[in-house]
Amino acid sequence: MDERQREQFFEEYNRGLHRLGRILLITSVILLVAVPFIIGAVNGVMPTLSGFLAGFAKVGIIYIPVAIVEFLVYTPMLGVGGSYLSFLTGNVTNMKIPCAMNARDMAGTTVGTPENEIVSTISVATSAIVTTLVIVAGVILLVPLQPVFQSETLLPAFNNVVPALFGALGLKYFAKSPKIAAIPLTLMALLCVLVPAAISQTSLLMIPAGGLALLIGYVLFKKDKL
Amino acid sequence: MNEYLSSVNSGIFYLLVAGILGFITIMCFVFLIKSYKAGIEIGMDKKVLKKTITASATFTLLPSISILLGVIALSGSLGVPFSWLRLSVVGALQYELNVAEIAAQSIGLSGLRVDEMSIGAFVTIGLVMTAGILGSVICCIFFLKKYLGKIHKAPKKESSGKPGFGAHATTAMFVGLCAAYIGAYIGKAIPREGQDVMPLFVAVVAAIVMAVFEYFIQKKGKAALENFSLAASMLVAMAAAVFLQMVM
Repeated sequence: MDERQREQFFEEYNRGLHRLGRILLITSVILLVAVPFIIGAVNGVMPTLSGFLAGFAKVGIIYIPVAIVEFLVYTPMLGVGGSYLSFLTGNVTNMKIPCAMNARDMAGTTVGTPENEIVSTISVATSAIVTTLVIVAGVILLVPLQPVFQSETLLPAFNNVVPALFGALGLKYFAKSPKIAAIPLTLMALLCVLVPAAISQTSLLMIPAGGLALLIGYVLFKKDKL
Repeated sequence: MNEYLSSVNSGIFYLLVAGILGFITIMCFVFLIKSYKAGIEIGMDKKVLKKTITASATFTLLPSISILLGVIALSGSLGVPFSWLRLSVVGALQYELNVAEIAAQSIGLSGLRVDEMSIGAFVTIGLVMTAGILGSVICCIFFLKKYLGKIHKAPKKESSGKPGFGAHATTAMFVGLCAAYIGAYIGKAIPREGQDVMPLFVAVVAAIVMAVFEYFIQKKGKAALENFSLAASMLVAMAAAVFLQMVM
């Protein structure tokens, strides 16, 4: 295959991946959104519009910008096929990107080449399949353990899964950026100590806390102190 | 068994999730085969392609087990099938729990607490979790072709070597997120009406375990532990919650 044929073939391959990727994502979005409605219909309830809008407004303000940044930053690293599969199957930063990078290093390909695109797609697809299989095996083992997980004794564990997450994540992020963390953490703690009504409004508090952390981060970045 | 937990662990829900994940896995195979064939077509060495598959499979094994631990952590409040779906598709443990907590508060619960959950609350929380995570997927559907096309055509700029603020922005946003939660746990632990020390206790235990992991990862070069640090810290802290409840 000469260079021109190779280029033509690669363009056709990429077009095919875009077509397939869009079909996959559109179908998956429909299926995923349908799940709460199907479960609701089976149980005779439906999601409430007011609850959904209130929750989505708070979630969107944080996660839509994150989603756009992730899309802009990660897709050039993942290529066409890798991007469609990674953003659908999740765990992008903690698994798919390191996996694709590792595969590329082993294969010795360079960014922007057809070889690189192919290796990235194969790597992400394999990673997604293996994860699914491992979780399926785990879920099969989990099913008989359901009565144990639902016992009264373990209730405090599952009622405190969110504090467990933010304790662990907090340590990681605060240690990574103590200069950014100091003021928002002190202010939030003071606010919740002095105004008890604020405690139950964490979903609102995270907006000024996130904004303040961003502002401090930006100022430090501009001063070259990050 | 709690009526809510029975509903979110029903057989039909397992079948639904298995069907969706089955479809996505088949599509992953389609991408894999298509790319493998394309590699052969442009003259890539079969050995390299096979090595890519085996290396990616082995690379993924450990992090996958940590995701499974996340399914266990999430399953007590959202049921196994939904946790299985959420951690197999689009999301990650940090996102799922945070959004579930925000959604739970938005519909009037004090948080993602099993004893306050109902199937009605669950379907609304599930819809918020699903819609909230689709940003990148929507971007891919509408903009990926154009964006990557532009990136590949754009002349390469001379890099200053310094990463932009984008890399720090996500970290800063998560710092703010964690600050809001930790601040609330500190506020809850203050001795007054409605005092609850458990969330702060659990958060501190999780932080200590994470600090131990970070020590081994950063100082002792045990990078493989990175895959487990979050899920393992959470599970130890959750076990500590059970212990504290027993002695209180």
